Amino acid sequence: MKLFKKTDILIIALIIAAAAAIWYYYSNAVSGRPVKAEIYYYSDLVGTVELVPGTERTISVPQEEDVVLKIDTDGSIRFIQSDCPDKICIRTGRLRLAGQSAACLPNGVIVKIVPADGWKESDPDIVIGSRGGQ
Amino acid sequence: MSKANGGPLAWNGSDRILAEKKSNGILNDPASLDGTRDESRRTRKLVLSGMIFALALVLSIVENAFPPLPMPVPGVKFGLSNIAVMYALFFLSKGQAYSIAVLKSLFVFMTRGLIAGILSLSGGILSLTVMLLVMVLFRDKASYTAISISGAIAHNTGQFIAVSFIYTGMYLWAYLPVLLVSGVIAGIVTAVLLRFIIPAFERLRL
Repeated sequence: MKLFKKTDILIIALIIAAAAAIWYYYSNAVSGRPVKAEIYYYSDLVGTVELVPGTERTISVPQEEDVVLKIDTDGSIRFIQSDCPDKICIRTGRLRLAGQSAACLPNGVIVKIVPADGWKESDPDIVIGSRGGQ
Repeated sequence: MSKANGGPLAWNGSDRILAEKKSNGILNDPASLDGTRDESRRTRKLVLSGMIFALALVLSIVENAFPPLPMPVPGVKFGLSNIAVMYALFFLSKGQAYSIAVLKSLFVFMTRGLIAGILSLSGGILSLTVMLLVMVLFRDKASYTAISISGAIAHNTGQFIAVSFIYTGMYLWAYLPVLLVSGVIAGIVTAVLLRFIIPAFERLRL
């Protein structure tokens, strides 16, 4: 068995192309839609925030005061503070497109961006597990 | 990769090692070929699995010593310890590869908690199963890199599925591109590193 074959370049190109196509399809389907952020503590929906450009504020869930989320003036939301060891949630950065999510797994805080009017039948439909609060 | 076919799987790895040693003339101790042969095989297999598992742990410590990659999805990383699992899959047996993957998850569970352990297990098992499928389907036509990439993508996807099930549903479309691209990169990195680490593994073969 070889380390690398020429056909691998084709395989890699196909995977990258598939990734680009999926991203294009996805971002076309969701961009420009008004969105809200659903905040979960483990599997329970504990809060919903409309994401509209304007005021800047910070929020946190009562169960985990050390995890702080910030809504920026451009209507995006991100984790800005957490006492977890790896800070993956903070590195995830800003969320503003429906379907994106960020999670602080050690603290069980999850943020999901969903369309303000909910998902529709015509949307690309791959959600693994339950759709939570819907 | 003929070891993937036929024969009781549990013995394949050590059979092969033993056969190689014999053909190389390394194994010229007659004692290990007589009545104690089974015992010797078991011991060899156990020791080899243990050492490769230890290597997996060292590789994951090495990986954790580097600053984390700025990746927008939880659980996306090179997965250097998969090199050890891949080595076991390519050169030993499925059984040993699976047991190393499970042991690795147990270690993660003990050191980093239940959730991390479940993520490691789901990623590890799915990754190994996909690599095995690719190996069985394509035989020698698949390169290490291709197998490694399919394993890395499966690993990412397995973790993502686990996160989605443990917590609440996540929207796969948004993350599939990230999982695919990071899987390609991680797959290439682990395949190349495996190539360089093979000599070190060979020295483990007692």
